Amino acid sequence: MILRKYIKDKRLVIAIYILGYFSILMMLFAFKCDHSLIIAISIVLFVLASSILLIEFYRKKEFYDELIQNLESLDQKYLVLETLTKPSFYEGVIQYQSLYEINKSMLENVKEYRTRMNDFKEYVEMWIHEVKVPISSLVLMCHNNKDTLDKKYIGQIKRLDNYIDQVLYYVRSENCEKDFLIKEVKLEKIVGNVALRNKDLLLENKIDLHVQLNAICVLTDAKWLEFILNQMINNSIKYKRDTVDSFIRITATEQKDVVILSIYDNGIGIPSSDLSRVFHKSFTGENGRKKSKSTGMGLYIAKNLCDQLGHGIRIQSEEGLFTEVQIIFSKDDFYSLTKM
Amino acid sequence: MVIDLKRIMIVEDDLVICEELYHLLSNSGYEAIILEDFQHSKEEILKENPDLLLLDINIPYMNGEVLLKELRKDSNMPVIMVTSKDSEVDEVLSMSYGADDYITKPYNPTILLLRIAAIFKRMEHEQKQSKYRDVTVYPSKGILQKGKQELQLTKNEMIIFQFLLNHQGQIVSRDDLMTDLWNNEEYINDNALTVNMSRLRTKLTEFGYRDAIETRKGYGYILL
Repeated sequence: MILRKYIKDKRLVIAIYILGYFSILMMLFAFKCDHSLIIAISIVLFVLASSILLIEFYRKKEFYDELIQNLESLDQKYLVLETLTKPSFYEGVIQYQSLYEINKSMLENVKEYRTRMNDFKEYVEMWIHEVKVPISSLVLMCHNNKDTLDKKYIGQIKRLDNYIDQVLYYVRSENCEKDFLIKEVKLEKIVGNVALRNKDLLLENKIDLHVQLNAICVLTDAKWLEFILNQMINNSIKYKRDTVDSFIRITATEQKDVVILSIYDNGIGIPSSDLSRVFHKSFTGENGRKKSKSTGMGLYIAKNLCDQLGHGIRIQSEEGLFTEVQIIFSKDDFYSLTKM
Repeated sequence: MVIDLKRIMIVEDDLVICEELYHLLSNSGYEAIILEDFQHSKEEILKENPDLLLLDINIPYMNGEVLLKELRKDSNMPVIMVTSKDSEVDEVLSMSYGADDYITKPYNPTILLLRIAAIFKRMEHEQKQSKYRDVTVYPSKGILQKGKQELQLTKNEMIIFQFLLNHQGQIVSRDDLMTDLWNNEEYINDNALTVNMSRLRTKLTEFGYRDAIETRKGYGYILL
């Protein structure tokens, strides 16, 4: 609180006071009082007025300064009430009480939405587990009747499965509750699972897969990373270049304190104007418009999951040449120490 | 010759999946049993005492993870969890309760069969090499041995030969071979499979087994 602004705010009160002072002064003159009495009364009145102003100011200053300062330094501003000492003056008490009530009702409101969100998430997870049952039945049926059924059926079922996974991981990534489990995983195993999942699509599209992982392990949630990699491979297949022998190269390199997993393809690439926005929600860009199947969610969800897991993710590309996605895992020194 | 079929028990409450799994396992040379009484699942399983158990997590009366934990108190039979619960937490939990493998739905049926075969192979680890006619196969060394003669195979050729040998007398599709190769982290393409196949044939011919592998057009290959 600044004194100058406070006084400016109180200008009406001060004006009335000065008016009163002058009326008293005129009365004193009219009654022909002694000059020394007039001076004494003036001094008393002045001291009285300014001390009232100042006392009021400092009582409020204490409360408001604390409020302003704490508000600035807090990340979650709605918690400010917890940091304040209850004020001693009447207006402050009213404000303090109101803040408390407002806070409480806001928290109740947020809690209601959180509960609803959680219910919805639980329902989606449950629904997805339910829907995976008929999908597995279909996969088994296709396999058991593969003499009579075309391979294209299984292709469509796999597409269905991929879209369903996208919903599942979207719900998981949007929810701030952490339901992943970090442990040491061999990259070979995860890449192997993803490769097998996409085997038919890769062979059908004549895309060669080169994998060089050097038996490197990382700390991550295996299932989440599998989903992320699956998105990358799906993109590489979707945006392959028809004029060259297509390939996808998955490599891992170990550096001083990070492991970098790179997924490189020689597909159609991404225009440089779009590159900075590919991780945005629902962004489809130039390539998305050419291929109508793009939802613009895959990379967004992947980035979201990486953020939650604490991995870095970056993308490089040159239009008409290549796209490379890198996932950066930091090494946990503490973990490797305790393992020894 | 009486072949002792391996008995696999299916614990799964979805009837369609049960039926299809039953066909899949029967067609692949296993005897499949379906658990019907979920109320006394543990007793039923112990009574049947199968060679392997395919266990779902979402089953009536008792959750699959709990059932596994109970089962482990009395039995060491191999268990593969087959479930639509795809979180890492569930997998780690199941493994800690003593599951031998964990597969999420929807799975590739060929992969399921490979995993089952892998578990049986692990159980019979004492006989590390298998036999083809009068040839002994040493998979880890990549060697076929007949008397004092030795034939060196590459890793891919060995995977192909072993898969054919495990299904000797049956037609094996190119897709099955491909799945097995990819399962062994050999991500080869169609041309490479053809090349590996013909190289394997040439080697076998030179080793004295002309026409050991026959091509059935439109179906696949068969090891005679």
